[in-house]
Amino acid sequence: MESRLSNNTSKTDHKWRKVAYGGMQPGFDDNHTDESFLEDMIMNANVVKRDLVKVVLDSISISQYLCIVALVVLVWAYTLRSTFSEGSLVLLDVILLGAGFFIVLLTSETISLNLLLNYFLKISFFITGLYVLSPIYHTLTRSISSDSIWALTASLIVLHLFLHSYSFSAIKAPGTLESLTFTSNISLNASIVASLLIASRLPSRLHVFAIMLFSLQVFLFAPLVSYCMRKYSFRLHVCFSLVLMSVTLFFVYRLHQLLFILLSSILIFVNLVCPYWLIRIQEYKFEINGPWDEAKLCFNITE
Amino acid sequence: MSQQKKHRILMVSDFFYPNFGGVENHIYYLSQCLIKLGHKVVVMTHAYKNRSGVRYMTCGLKVYYVPWKPFLMQNTLPTFYGTLPIVRTILIREKITLVHGHQAFSTLCHEALMHARTMGYKVVFTDHSLYGFADVGSIHMNKVLQFTLADVTQAICVSHTSKENTVLRSGLPPEKVFVIPNAVDTAMFKPAPERLSSHEIVIVVISRLVYRKGADLLVEVIPEVCSLHPNVRFIIGGDGPKRVRLEEMREKHSLQDRVDMLGAVPHAKVQSVLITGHIFLNSSLTEAFCIAILEAASCGLLTVSTRVGGVPEVLPDEMVVLAEPDPNDMVLAITKAIDLLPQIDPLVMHKRMKKLYSWHDVAKRTEIVYDRALRCSNQNLLERLPRYLTCGAWAGKLFCLVMIIDFLFWRFLQLWKPDREIEVVPDIHLMTKNEDTWDSSADESLN
Repeated sequence: MESRLSNNTSKTDHKWRKVAYGGMQPGFDDNHTDESFLEDMIMNANVVKRDLVKVVLDSISISQYLCIVALVVLVWAYTLRSTFSEGSLVLLDVILLGAGFFIVLLTSETISLNLLLNYFLKISFFITGLYVLSPIYHTLTRSISSDSIWALTASLIVLHLFLHSYSFSAIKAPGTLESLTFTSNISLNASIVASLLIASRLPSRLHVFAIMLFSLQVFLFAPLVSYCMRKYSFRLHVCFSLVLMSVTLFFVYRLHQLLFILLSSILIFVNLVCPYWLIRIQEYKFEINGPWDEAKLCFNITE
Repeated sequence: MSQQKKHRILMVSDFFYPNFGGVENHIYYLSQCLIKLGHKVVVMTHAYKNRSGVRYMTCGLKVYYVPWKPFLMQNTLPTFYGTLPIVRTILIREKITLVHGHQAFSTLCHEALMHARTMGYKVVFTDHSLYGFADVGSIHMNKVLQFTLADVTQAICVSHTSKENTVLRSGLPPEKVFVIPNAVDTAMFKPAPERLSSHEIVIVVISRLVYRKGADLLVEVIPEVCSLHPNVRFIIGGDGPKRVRLEEMREKHSLQDRVDMLGAVPHAKVQSVLITGHIFLNSSLTEAFCIAILEAASCGLLTVSTRVGGVPEVLPDEMVVLAEPDPNDMVLAITKAIDLLPQIDPLVMHKRMKKLYSWHDVAKRTEIVYDRALRCSNQNLLERLPRYLTCGAWAGKLFCLVMIIDFLFWRFLQLWKPDREIEVVPDIHLMTKNEDTWDSSADESLN
């Protein structure tokens, strides 16, 4: 500091320093900017390079669930048209339940008789409850016009698809620690209400019971089953999804051509356009870090 | 200096006395020193509880407490045009030549600067804080700042880090941004009359006990230091949501006799707390400048601080021990500071601080910025609009619309109540020559 005062005359001798103390630096204005300006800035430090193939493969789980929901809607449509009898619906329920159990058992690492018995007991309670309540569901929306029911159901299904958590299962898979989020709860409830509304339009109590059981099985357990399958083998997951997609498209085509076009364009959008779009907009990603960022603590705060 | 034109400055910020903090302090001391340099300074802020209307502070510093209620964290509700009539009246009444706004999250400051530009005044803006770029709040804040700074004549930042941050956030050319640090009133922060004994080493912490000030770091560091150095005692001044955690830590490690928790310390008592210690510990996670370090150094304490934001620029290397914001590194730094302690003479440190920082120096440097701002050419609305257009595809057009409406509103006000009908206040010179210390509480109402 003292030397600075002594040779104040030869200003060029002084190097400008990036410090705030000591008043105005001789020979330099306060707006002096040199090459050290922004030298500590780090750009795009945490940007992940994304691979198109990987994004496409990841997006398959979304289209898989879309197809599952489409199949449920198909079953509803056929039941409402009385193409399916109540007997075949109950048979479908049993087959689905068996197949679901089979897949979960096959793919999970820890199987114990106790756990199995526990599952079995819970499901039988569930089925009995549903059977007892089905007369109530049968007459629940009698005073509401059918148009309102269709509109409400359609919007609830859209809401369900919109809020569904595609990466995790809604029910806790054995051995995982994910907890339910608020939106996935809303999504699940929307789907249950939608199936209730549909069931209330059906002619007999057994119909109501069978369709409710079917919808609940799918909405509650399909994410769990597909999660188990994906964890077990990704290849199996992709194959299963592709088969499911083609089966769904085939049945939708037989039901209605416009719906077929709609579903296939949605699938193309989700599986091809969106991943490509994501990769394209990656180049606009711009992250700035520097000394002005709030420091992150390197330990966990235990309140 | 005397032949130079004297400025008539309006300082605008939501933050002013009776609130306390870095910005409030800065405005107060800067205004006092500018008055001593012969300029006229008027402060405009919002009403604090029943403190509303015009008040005078030391040296005739006139403060307009605009009756505009704060709604969140002492900020006024953003209304865009609601403040134009009163800003215009104050500007004309006080014959203001230059408007100086403080702090990026003061809505009153943004609005006043906008109106001042509309009315053709030169404006200077001081940024006192750092902002990231990642979270939603910062992104919005940065857009607002870009709007205000798009047409600001000159900007001031309190540290070089803050300047880099402001330039990145607002897109201003770096030549327009000046670095003028805060200072410390060394007359108020004097070291203890006699040296403390070195048998027991006292570490002082004075800060709000919140996450951003690194209270969680303290929880990890204090027990570690206490177990390493049996002769160390802590004094913690300040209050906040994290106080409970610190008290928990004290119970858990049975440090009741070695960690003193004082609770909130009023600013007037800070010095008396500081002089009871040897080392000042600052654990902030983000800091544009950190006046607390200056106050501690002025009291002759050796500072240990986290290396964040503008902190490394604040003190010469031999007066501060810096550490990464990590408990282990901070414990090492405290150990290093304890070893350094015998070489530190508080009185020498205080004298050195007197040379390094003074508000008079800050005022002189700010004066240069004002001179430069006034030399800039006048521009009409059409010349200024393109600057707003460059702010973004949608935001740019929106900003232009806001400015055009402001302009029309101003013209309407001119018709409704012409400038000549607004009474001009006479200047009163209350300044006395021999004053060197200020008492911020000695204000009186002349209203």
